[in-house]
Amino acid sequence: MTGPAAPHERQMAEAVTQARLATLGMLVAGLAHEINTPLGTLNSNHDVLRRALLRLQSILADEVVSPDELDEVRRVIAAVDSIIRVNDIAVERMTALVRGLRNFGRIDRADIDVVDLHEGIDSTLAILAHELREIRVERRYGDVPRIECHPQQVNQVIMNLVLNARQAMPGGGTITISTWTGDDRVFVRVADTGVGIPADCIERIFEPGFTTRGGRVGMGLGLLICRQIIEHHAGAITVESAPGSGSAFTVSLPVHYAGATGH
Amino acid sequence: MQNTVLLVDDEPMVALSLRSFLELETSYRVLMFTSPLEALEALEAEPVDVLIADFMMPGMDGITFLGRAREMKPLTTRILLTGYADKENAIRAINQAGLYYYLEKPWDNEQLKVIIRNGIERSALFNELDMRVSALEQANVELHGLRARLMEAFL
Repeated sequence: MTGPAAPHERQMAEAVTQARLATLGMLVAGLAHEINTPLGTLNSNHDVLRRALLRLQSILADEVVSPDELDEVRRVIAAVDSIIRVNDIAVERMTALVRGLRNFGRIDRADIDVVDLHEGIDSTLAILAHELREIRVERRYGDVPRIECHPQQVNQVIMNLVLNARQAMPGGGTITISTWTGDDRVFVRVADTGVGIPADCIERIFEPGFTTRGGRVGMGLGLLICRQIIEHHAGAITVESAPGSGSAFTVSLPVHYAGATGH
Repeated sequence: MQNTVLLVDDEPMVALSLRSFLELETSYRVLMFTSPLEALEALEAEPVDVLIADFMMPGMDGITFLGRAREMKPLTTRILLTGYADKENAIRAINQAGLYYYLEKPWDNEQLKVIIRNGIERSALFNELDMRVSALEQANVELHGLRARLMEAFL
């Protein structure tokens, strides 16, 4: 991309930024909880390690270890071993969350980049871990090439589709995310086992302001923005739905970016 | 007799952390679960002094879990460990689950240890009270029987 961005491009970028902020705002409580759990664990474990050390120091204070004390030492070592393994999980959880947030925002990357789509999906799912607690998520990833795109924008589309799928399943269910490739394009399908979209609404779901969820702030623009982003990438978004058994949104994107302003 | 603490948290890391702490610092038997349903099955089969449940768990929240546990074993002490401290849930927990303590995450190990120790004492006192009441009821029944036989003998 060379030269200043076209007005359309700027509008699009602004709309995406706003959508992203609205989504993140909505997710903040969940994200705080997702961080609080491993943080609380590490906090407790740190205390346990300190106690374990004190215990060992007190046993070794007289430089003699009796058979009873030896059993105690073994018990302390078993606890420390378990704590260290738990710490690994907690640290990994927090790292994945931060990695997810960074990838989602792509704060450290250029506007257009060649990216691994699966990385973007995994990041989005990491951020949404809290929202998806009662949902089974199946990843059916195909062998797809890296694609040239606006990663922030594409991540926003995936985020919206996954959140819609979640909201279609208030009582729980399964979200299946599949990817495949063909004709120099990459496809992503987000399918849920939720309530589905009534036939008289399916034509209108990409219209501005269309929502079935009441007047929540920022709602009703999600799918419109998704379609704009995808069309801006010279891609397509389609939907199939069976009321009562679920919906599936399929996004196709060209492997090479051919944005609205040319390239 | 060794006292038993039953833990349920769908986050294995929290459950494991609590178990490691209790195993290092106390002599309690610790039963650890990540599924509330499995925890209820264990509660049916095992004597338990103190129950510690996470609030937000898939399938069954901690308050519902503790409420069911209360129906099964009313004398067991119930503690809710929660990352969501709000008034509405606290009230619901106290009313619905007969909660002994509402503990917020991140928790303090020393405080937790004291709460559990007090909870065990509380359960023991309730159990003793229950036994005494049963014994009194039994004695009362026997007394009534004796009285009836005395009446029969003298009247």
